[in-house]
Amino acid sequence: MDSYLPIFVLLVLGVLFAGLSFVASGMLAPRKHPTAAKLAPYECGIVPDVDPPQRFPVRFYLVAMIFIIFDIEIVFLYPWAVIFRQLRTFGLVEVLVFAGAVFISFLYLVSNGALDWGPVRRLMPAVRTRTTASTVRRVAARAAGSELPGPDAPGTGRAA
Amino acid sequence: MSPAHLLTAALSVSAVRGGTLSLPHIDYLTILPELIFLGGALVMLLHSALIRRTMDAATSTSWALSAATAALVASLVQWYEVSAHGPKVAVAGAVAFDGFSVFVTILVSSATLVAILISHSWLEREGVRGPEMQALMLVSAMGAMLMGAANDLIMVFLGLEILSIALYVLAAFDHRRPASGEAALKYFILGAFSSAVFVYGIALVYGATGTTNLPQIADFLSRNLLLHNGLLLGGLALLLAGFCFKIAAVPFHMWTPDVYQGAPTPVTGFMSAIAKVGGFAALLRVFVSSFGLLRADWQPAIWVIAALTLLLGASVALVQRDVKRMLAYSSINHAGFVLLGLQAATSRGVSDSLYYLFAYAFMALGSFAVVSIVGAKGDGNHRLDAYRSLGRRHPWLAAAFTVFLLGQAGIPFTTGFLAKLAVVEAAVEAHSVWLAGIAMVSAVVAAFFYLGLVRLMWAAPAADAPVAGAPAGAMASVGAATASMQPAERVSAGALASPVGTAAGQVSGSAAGSPAGAGSTSGEEAGSTSEETEEPALSTPLGVGIAIALCAGVTVVFGVIPAPLLDFAHQATLLIR
Repeated sequence: MDSYLPIFVLLVLGVLFAGLSFVASGMLAPRKHPTAAKLAPYECGIVPDVDPPQRFPVRFYLVAMIFIIFDIEIVFLYPWAVIFRQLRTFGLVEVLVFAGAVFISFLYLVSNGALDWGPVRRLMPAVRTRTTASTVRRVAARAAGSELPGPDAPGTGRAA
Repeated sequence: MSPAHLLTAALSVSAVRGGTLSLPHIDYLTILPELIFLGGALVMLLHSALIRRTMDAATSTSWALSAATAALVASLVQWYEVSAHGPKVAVAGAVAFDGFSVFVTILVSSATLVAILISHSWLEREGVRGPEMQALMLVSAMGAMLMGAANDLIMVFLGLEILSIALYVLAAFDHRRPASGEAALKYFILGAFSSAVFVYGIALVYGATGTTNLPQIADFLSRNLLLHNGLLLGGLALLLAGFCFKIAAVPFHMWTPDVYQGAPTPVTGFMSAIAKVGGFAALLRVFVSSFGLLRADWQPAIWVIAALTLLLGASVALVQRDVKRMLAYSSINHAGFVLLGLQAATSRGVSDSLYYLFAYAFMALGSFAVVSIVGAKGDGNHRLDAYRSLGRRHPWLAAAFTVFLLGQAGIPFTTGFLAKLAVVEAAVEAHSVWLAGIAMVSAVVAAFFYLGLVRLMWAAPAADAPVAGAPAGAMASVGAATASMQPAERVSAGALASPVGTAAGQVSGSAAGSPAGAGSTSGEEAGSTSEETEEPALSTPLGVGIAIALCAGVTVVFGVIPAPLLDFAHQATLLIR
């Protein structure tokens, strides 16, 4: 039982540290609540008039998947490379089969557009045209209290 | 010295230092079905990558069907080989090649064949294109085969992961229904957790015995008596937890109803057949052949798990309103029956478990094939009410479903009856009389909801609502009494209603002030409402029709003429290593 004492002490210390951190951050943190302006999404000084898009493509996961595929391949290739002489033809053939399987999955990924990093072909344009003049006009119209149907006003600028 | 000499010298030195590596002899026949499935999946992906348009369902189904047929033929050749020349281990002891493994391979490849037929009709109906679903099915089935053939805990884990990872994606396949994604996430998180538990079990067993090879573990245990066997028993418990998750045994069953309900119906059928077969195959081999000497330690645990699984599966299924959830709980109940054979821990028990798995796989696949048709386009029409008077509208469909339900209930002249009889006999032979009693009680309880659904299908439609409402109402009230959820019961004027439904009717009736309209919200008194809701016209495409016919054929033919299949399962165990 004695040998478990250090583990127990460590457990207590861990719990204490975590608890104290919470208490300390609660006591030390500034109590100022951010204003509405601070919480608004920042858009280059322009007052945001449309909600930021809720859904956007995360293309990194495809890259991450490609990475994992080749990562695993390297993991297998490395030990093979260390003893490939002793594995002789058998090892070579096996690694080629394995690399072929990986290559087919890579082909599949590429054919499904995993590496298409060019300009995203949108089915509908997010904002059709937005120029300095149009923004000034829109802000002025909003300040005047009437919504001027400009080229980038909601409903016309965004193809519904 | 010239560089060439240096090179040869270095080469010879390294060759001497490294020595000669003894390369394992690989008997490719022993892993041929697995290779065919993997190759089939790769060819499908390659073909879809090389054509300009998305692959249509007919092309991908032809590829997948040819792969499954080839694997089935290869596994039959394997059966001939193993019957003629006896069992052996292959690939440096990693893969066992015996009757057991070949039985599992034959079962998995034929079940995959049926599942692909079902999935084809689903793909066509839902307008989903691309080879992914069937390629993933092939890969997943390959994992199940590998689990059946694994002769090493590492191989078991490899098969488990190949099986599971493909299933996680398959569960999320219907991206138009949020429930599908939810099911996949649930399955993935719990499955990953259980895999981690399983690996930890392997580590502990390795720590205790010094090997992960199954025969070597058995060998070690027969030659050594462990004075402190806590490590080994801990590892065994973790392995059991990992397996029980995969086979959905109580208390590791929580994911089953949600995942079965959320996943696309062909995937649910595939999952209920293949994942269970793979999990049970590895569980039986690991526990009976490797840890057979420790049976005094693990038999009580299996006893408790089997009893809980049997009772909970049967009783909770009674109160389900969704046919996929009901079948999910019914599959939990079936897992309990298969566990009876494991609990017996005899050669007879293993053989009976295999037989049960064979019977169950085809009944489950057939049931979910029917459910997939009744689900109609969108795959969402799974209320029990959707089955009301199905016999009037689609007699053949209802007849096939009746066969599967009666088979699962264990009515004579189906494989289900013989399978239940066999495992119960095995349990009695192993002196687990109480467990056999619990199994029979659970079979009686389960018969309520199977027969209730059968009566619902063949009952007259809305004209005489009391008759139509009776089986479901009685079934729900038995369920409520079993679960002791709602003791109060009130027989309403026209329909024998479920207590829960009546309570809901009273509440909403008093709120609305019109008792007549109250019943329409609660599912059971829907006799009057079913005529208002227009049931969708169901079409039975060729693929799923063949699948249903095959499953019904297996269930009835081997139920009437049981000898070949029983002999088959019996021989499969005689050759176990």
